[in-house]
Amino acid sequence: MRFSFPLMALGLEVAMIVLFGLFAEYETDHGMIYQPNTTQITESERFFQLYPLFQDVHVMIFVGFGFLMTFLKKYGFSGVGINLFVAALGLQWGIIIQGILHSHGEKIQIGIKNIINADFSTATVLISFGAVLGKTSPIQMLIMTILEIAAFAGNEYLVGEIFQATDIGASMTIHAFGAYFGLAVAGILYRSGLRKGHRNEESTYNSDLFAMIGTIFLWIFWPSFNSAIAEPGDEQNRAIVNTYFSLAACVLTAFAFSSLVTHGGKLNMVHIQNATLAGGVAVGTCADMDISPYVAMIIGSIAGVVSVLGYKLLTPCFATKLRIHDTCGVHNLHGLPGVIGGLASIVAIVMGKSKKSTIAMQAAALGSSIGTAIVGGILTGLILKIPFWEQPSDQNCYDDSVYWEVKVGRSK
Amino acid sequence: MGSRYPRSIRSCLPLWALLLETALLLLIFFTAYDVPLMDQKTFMGTYQVFQEFIIMAVLGLGFLNASLQKQGWSSVAFSLFMLVLAVQWAILTDSFTDWLLSRKVPNKLTSIYPASMSAITVLISAGMVLGKANLVQLTVMTLLEVTAIGIMRTVGSTFFQLDHHMDILFFPTFAAYFGVIVARCLAKPLPKGWEKKTQMATPSSLFGMLGTLFLWIFWPSFNSAPLNLLEEKRTALLNTYFALAVSAVTATSVSALAHPHGKINLLHVHNAVLAGGVASSAPAYLISSPWIAMVLGLLAGLISIGGAKCLVTQDFSGVHYTFGLPGLLGVATYIMLLLWNSSSKVWVPRTGNQMLTMMGAFSFAVLMSLASGLLTGLLLRLKIWKAPHEAKYFEDQTFWELHPHLFLHF
Repeated sequence: MRFSFPLMALGLEVAMIVLFGLFAEYETDHGMIYQPNTTQITESERFFQLYPLFQDVHVMIFVGFGFLMTFLKKYGFSGVGINLFVAALGLQWGIIIQGILHSHGEKIQIGIKNIINADFSTATVLISFGAVLGKTSPIQMLIMTILEIAAFAGNEYLVGEIFQATDIGASMTIHAFGAYFGLAVAGILYRSGLRKGHRNEESTYNSDLFAMIGTIFLWIFWPSFNSAIAEPGDEQNRAIVNTYFSLAACVLTAFAFSSLVTHGGKLNMVHIQNATLAGGVAVGTCADMDISPYVAMIIGSIAGVVSVLGYKLLTPCFATKLRIHDTCGVHNLHGLPGVIGGLASIVAIVMGKSKKSTIAMQAAALGSSIGTAIVGGILTGLILKIPFWEQPSDQNCYDDSVYWEVKVGRSK
Repeated sequence: MGSRYPRSIRSCLPLWALLLETALLLLIFFTAYDVPLMDQKTFMGTYQVFQEFIIMAVLGLGFLNASLQKQGWSSVAFSLFMLVLAVQWAILTDSFTDWLLSRKVPNKLTSIYPASMSAITVLISAGMVLGKANLVQLTVMTLLEVTAIGIMRTVGSTFFQLDHHMDILFFPTFAAYFGVIVARCLAKPLPKGWEKKTQMATPSSLFGMLGTLFLWIFWPSFNSAPLNLLEEKRTALLNTYFALAVSAVTATSVSALAHPHGKINLLHVHNAVLAGGVASSAPAYLISSPWIAMVLGLLAGLISIGGAKCLVTQDFSGVHYTFGLPGLLGVATYIMLLLWNSSSKVWVPRTGNQMLTMMGAFSFAVLMSLASGLLTGLLLRLKIWKAPHEAKYFEDQTFWELHPHLFLHF
């Protein structure tokens, strides 16, 4: 990958700059926003109200997801480094493509909502990256970033603008979408040569501890993720509190079930790293609805249990029966809890907790997210299978030294 | 363990540190909290910025320097030590100069802001000398550098009529060249086997990456903190954000391009991804559309990797090409933007005269950093500081109680 990867990346970067030059400009203070509490605030004030939440989301994307993927013993550099690369490229592309879809032909006005949504759109790619972690080359990741964000923006437009469904914490549009997209790609790129596992596909004591850094940052800042684009006031407040309780409940059930299903009643680090976050994913869709804290806790508990059981039962079954190898287990952390989130929102609407959407629209949103993800993932997988993307050989999977300078003197 | 190392700093360090802290206590006794004039919202805003600065200094710069294999403890802990010392000392020097100039002693939460700015400058320069100097030397360096920054600020505000928030124009260049000169003065021929000690190991590189990411995430607020108008602050934030994103992509891909087998160097990634933020710190609030910031980020990434490849120095932390060169690029961009704006009459207040003042202030800052760096470097060469032997460079074992088998294991 001497020339192809760098030149392709630089070419894309120049293309991004040109696109920004043509289509984007900064929002100005001329348009005032009307606030329900009868005060007018300027765009700049609105910006600085949301900026702390954006910063939390930023920490989750770069530190949280990045370090969560350092659990493989020889793949830490790629986990955190390619994560940074993909997210930095993806957020620019996300701003452009979401802006074009939502601006109806005018220039994109870049404000705080755009950059929060751009971070969200990179999250889908990072989730899918988890499913194919260790089995793709940086060029493949580049292509996947571009295609997946385009598919995500399309689906998000469909769910938000056409179905008018509510998905505040993006359980369906980001988490379920990212997970099923990743699974579809992983299914297409299945390597039968690695059916019996790979000697580098394991973690060490240190690498698991690094992954725990990621988990903890994700866990701490998840309430910001679910509330960043909520309406200010009551709804944002509810989104924060509901997510907080759901995450807390989820940790308890994840620990309990991890001990229950592991031999000798011990805890499994994989479960602790991932299943403890499932509560944040599952409560996403109904986070801003008027559900009581105990309902959020029930959702979180169920997500924790389902996630641990998924790791125990589903992941091995997927790998052997369906020929889908999911390295990080994103199906259990993002896929299943995302579906639970969608279903929970339907139940909440049946119980009359929200008037913003209807049962049919929520169901359509869930269906379209999973459907678009699987179709988009299969197409992307087929493109990534074309043999000139410098795919690593089976032998070279899960190995940093193929792409990174490892153990070289610091200055030559 | 200490006895095996002849140059113990036992007699020196505790005495110095305690004396210094007592002196600081006595001096700070004479300052007082002023009546809080700001409302709750402004107060929370200031506190948030203050918090971000601490995260950048302790988590960001501390862990960024921890990427050398055997030096993690020193980097993180000494950074904390230098931060707290620098903040206290900077508050004192700032209030002293304020008292000299206006016979008033302000001490409020906002005075922590310039103080933490000085502290971050010190930590950036310290990246050049960490591993080669002991804590006493670092203490001396902190005190001298903070004093130099204080003098620079005072001269800037009295002679060049600069606002305090213009400090950000010069700080990356100042920090980098101060560090470069001090390191040059301390330079001794490194003994055999130093390459081995400065090798990267997976865990320590990942710690370095943690530091980089925190700096990367919080750099936009760092660049916007000194501005007063909300609109300008927002422009600065967005521009820095785009410049950083582009320089992350550029740094990763150019690093692969520069390697004969197309492999990415994580050390380049550690440093060069920040170049965009450094380069945009001066001009961030002037840039009017995102693509200009993105071009700036692209250039900064290229310069930073180019510097890393071409400038073969004993600079393991990459201070020069992360902060020095992109800082110069930033100032150049700033001056160019001013020129462009004033010629097209978009932005009137800056005239040619003010431009000259700006350039004068910048050359003064560079000269000041070189001069004070030279002075500090020469002072640190004195025998009385019991500097570590060359053979013990880049080792935690020189300063820390460390069980031998744990060390081998690591």
